[in-house]
Amino acid sequence: MNTIQVLIGSVLILLTGVAITAIFSSYRKICSWIAFLSMLFAAIGIGYTAVFVYLHGPVATTQPIFTISTIGASLNLRIDELSALFLTVISFIGLWATLYSVDYMSFYKKESLLRFSPFLLLFIIGMVGVVCVTDMFFFFVFWEFMTLASYLLVIFEKERKVNLKAGFKYFLLTHIGTVCMYIAAIVLWTQSKSFDFNELRGVFETYLSSGLGIVHVVLLLFFVGFATKAAILPFGIWLPDAHPAAPSGVSAILSGVMIKMGIYGLLRVFIFLCPISHATYIWGGIIAIFGTISLFVATFTALIQEDSKRLLAFHSIGQVGYIFLSLGMGIAFLPISPVISAVALIAGVYHLINHACFKSLLFLNAGSILYQTGTRDLNKIGGLSKLMPVTAATALIASLSISGMPVFNGFISKWLIFQVTILGGISHPLYIILGLFALFISAVTLASFIKFMATSFWAKTPDSLKTRTIKEVPLTMQIPQVVLAAMCIFLGVFPVVAIPILYTTAGSLGLSGYLPQLDALFRGSYLGLNTNLGEGMATTFNPFFILIIMMICTVLAYLIFKMGKSELRQVETWYCGEEHTAEEVRYKAHSFYVPFKQIFRIRIGKYWSESLYLTNIPWPKIKVPGFIKKALQIDRWFYYPLVNFVIKIFDRFSITHVGVPQVYTLWLIIGMVLAIIVLFALS
Amino acid sequence: MSYAIGIGFLNICLVLLLSPFLEGIIRKIRAFIHSRKGPPLKQPYYDLLKLLGKENLVVSPNFLIRWAPIVCLATILIAGLLIPMGTIRPPLSVAGDVIVFIYFITLAAVVIMMAAAASENPYAHIGASREMMMLLTVEPVIAIALITGAINAHSFRISDIVMWNLAHGPTVSMGIAGLSVFLIVQAQLGKLPFDIPEADQEIMGGVFIEMSGPKYALFKWAFLAKQVIFASLLCQVFIPWPTTFILWLDVLVNLVKVLIIVIFVCIIDVVNPRLRIDQAIKYFFIIIFVALMGLVFALVQA
Repeated sequence: MNTIQVLIGSVLILLTGVAITAIFSSYRKICSWIAFLSMLFAAIGIGYTAVFVYLHGPVATTQPIFTISTIGASLNLRIDELSALFLTVISFIGLWATLYSVDYMSFYKKESLLRFSPFLLLFIIGMVGVVCVTDMFFFFVFWEFMTLASYLLVIFEKERKVNLKAGFKYFLLTHIGTVCMYIAAIVLWTQSKSFDFNELRGVFETYLSSGLGIVHVVLLLFFVGFATKAAILPFGIWLPDAHPAAPSGVSAILSGVMIKMGIYGLLRVFIFLCPISHATYIWGGIIAIFGTISLFVATFTALIQEDSKRLLAFHSIGQVGYIFLSLGMGIAFLPISPVISAVALIAGVYHLINHACFKSLLFLNAGSILYQTGTRDLNKIGGLSKLMPVTAATALIASLSISGMPVFNGFISKWLIFQVTILGGISHPLYIILGLFALFISAVTLASFIKFMATSFWAKTPDSLKTRTIKEVPLTMQIPQVVLAAMCIFLGVFPVVAIPILYTTAGSLGLSGYLPQLDALFRGSYLGLNTNLGEGMATTFNPFFILIIMMICTVLAYLIFKMGKSELRQVETWYCGEEHTAEEVRYKAHSFYVPFKQIFRIRIGKYWSESLYLTNIPWPKIKVPGFIKKALQIDRWFYYPLVNFVIKIFDRFSITHVGVPQVYTLWLIIGMVLAIIVLFALS
Repeated sequence: MSYAIGIGFLNICLVLLLSPFLEGIIRKIRAFIHSRKGPPLKQPYYDLLKLLGKENLVVSPNFLIRWAPIVCLATILIAGLLIPMGTIRPPLSVAGDVIVFIYFITLAAVVIMMAAAASENPYAHIGASREMMMLLTVEPVIAIALITGAINAHSFRISDIVMWNLAHGPTVSMGIAGLSVFLIVQAQLGKLPFDIPEADQEIMGGVFIEMSGPKYALFKWAFLAKQVIFASLLCQVFIPWPTTFILWLDVLVNLVKVLIIVIFVCIIDVVNPRLRIDQAIKYFFIIIFVALMGLVFALVQA
């Protein structure tokens, strides 16, 4: 059995899972476990494929699985290192999110799982398809698959109006983006009459060599499409509504994996399809600028959020902004400096993996809080670390990771991003400005997560929660959190493991001969990173070494701490001599950073905003003409008149119902006579 | 390797053992300005030892409260190893650069905030919130100042920045960067007019309200250590003259410079009243722009 067959087999397992979960959807536990099992086997298959690709190079189908010859589209699979990376992320996060959902879904008692488990698996299939095909047409087919499945998962809790609204916004905006991509693909198709990636690459080359401006139009349309999916502001305003609406396991996949599909598309089109040229230089800059705008605006907006999942959703936009900044710089520097470009691409993809780990984890943590307390409002919860220690510890690790604290994974990728934007930007100061924004926003992220941790896990428990019995979440919800937290630490301490893999990934975008050797980029340092950006620009970070010194220093500090042999005593909180109940003096999420938030408050006319993100943009109200409205209401002009007509006719017959048996008998006899006459007449 | 361990040992000694002595001098000067006699120079050591022996009161079973002081001191020690004190190369130069230094200083503040938040006291929460706002506006200044050096030297390694500064003499960009760092040292060390997160008279020590005994001793020690670290950063990276490349002489010169800076900090501390947090934020935003000017100068030269 070759590797492609393993992959196809995994997808078939998922499809079987879809069918079985649909059948058993009324048995909630069985349905969830079947979803997990099919996901587990599929993840093993997909993981095997990914490892095989990294060890032995890309694999591809020899002949098309399916062809539509009239438009020149054929379903070919090709898994290179980039696809393998995304397959790993999809299967890893998908697996743990599915396991998490097994017990989590008991939170939604009324909703049928028929609208959850099958669509979750379909969603995964859609994403696997997106990263494996080599044909623009089937790329769109799977893209739509993914979008529709995720739309149905977003509106899972359909009883709540706000979720339907969020789902509609998501559906509409993503499709506007998708339409842009369709147009771009069709423009390319008119030249090549084929949707195959290699053919499209040829079209790009022709356009570029003929010096036509149309290549910029095509890239703009692709950029809008992928930026919408990746939730880059201002295209990604669907995300802060859609992610909190979905069940938490799905939010984790949406945030950790699905929005990365936009980045996958970006890499495929802007590096793999578009040859290195002046166009990539310009568009790389634009991507980096949009990334910076969205990381700045979204992270500031996250600072004022008091809904845990909405806060995390805004951070998703912000962190994707970091990825866009770094990848944009990588794309822009391709024609100028392969060294800087290589480091920027590696940094961006590293941040992508890291974000998949810590943001999925944070959504699972928020889900655990929701599961136990029934609320997402940070003002109404507190003191959960005593009751839910595992959730609290993993949330702490994830918060430190996303804030980029040293020896956690976020630090490595952010460190690389700062290095490359600032040192690489010496010749192009624009990138230094972008890098400084990124550095400042890193602190804002920290502030936001200090608030998140302080209000949800560490403050006094409010009285409203004391009526509920809050305990640690079930084991199936703990395991995914612990695994993802372990991943955050592993990627932070051992970048030496991840960097070579990411280097091959960057090379697989048709750049393998173009980028400098790995040893030249990160000069051989034991377990550390010695970045070499050329022209004498170099720098060092060795997380493993730092960790050892950190341990020595901690032991030293511990010895000092124990020097006085002081005794431990548990006491009550001291309110400076006053008598207070905990509820009276609780410091709520709303109170954090008020003076700082006031500085960034905006009011333009009747449009106001607590932060840089306008919250009450009025939706244009379209007046639908009356006749269209009437034409759409089929009941009103067709069904009800018809029914009334039929009822009226039969009402006429009601006069024959007189209630006297003799009359009925008379009718019978008349009828019989008539029948006999008719029969005789006919014969 | 043995050289690195040697200067590492030197840095640890300076940061841990000498810092209380500097505090003793500061107290003497403060007393002189107040027209008091002041405590003996050894008083800070006595304070620390006494605090270490006191009862360790904890308000919550949260492990963060117990471990935060230890981790805080450890991170400050690492920050101390990441900057040079009388040498060109910091002892931990093989493991980290300027960004790592900035993040370890931030981590120390984060640990304090986490301990404060975990102590469940509303005053501590107010303190943590204020500390974070200070950090948000102060951290960019240090970052921009050090990045100015990095852009000049084309390297994020502190040793390269110092070497560049020595080779190219006093420059406008490094001067502005040094000035902006000097203006925020007060805030980093929790001194008036910026001791807003602690603010004894308003919020009873704020972040430290529940930190008693050995916990407070370690936090206090970390703050004393920070004095030496920031003063050294200022005088080694931004004003590295005179450098003789003779180890003991350089260390001595560094100590004298550190003492001068600490005296400046002390005088500002004594003669200023505390600012409100919103005033402080606005002040720091101005300093951020000052620091950005330095960056522009660095770019123009390059």
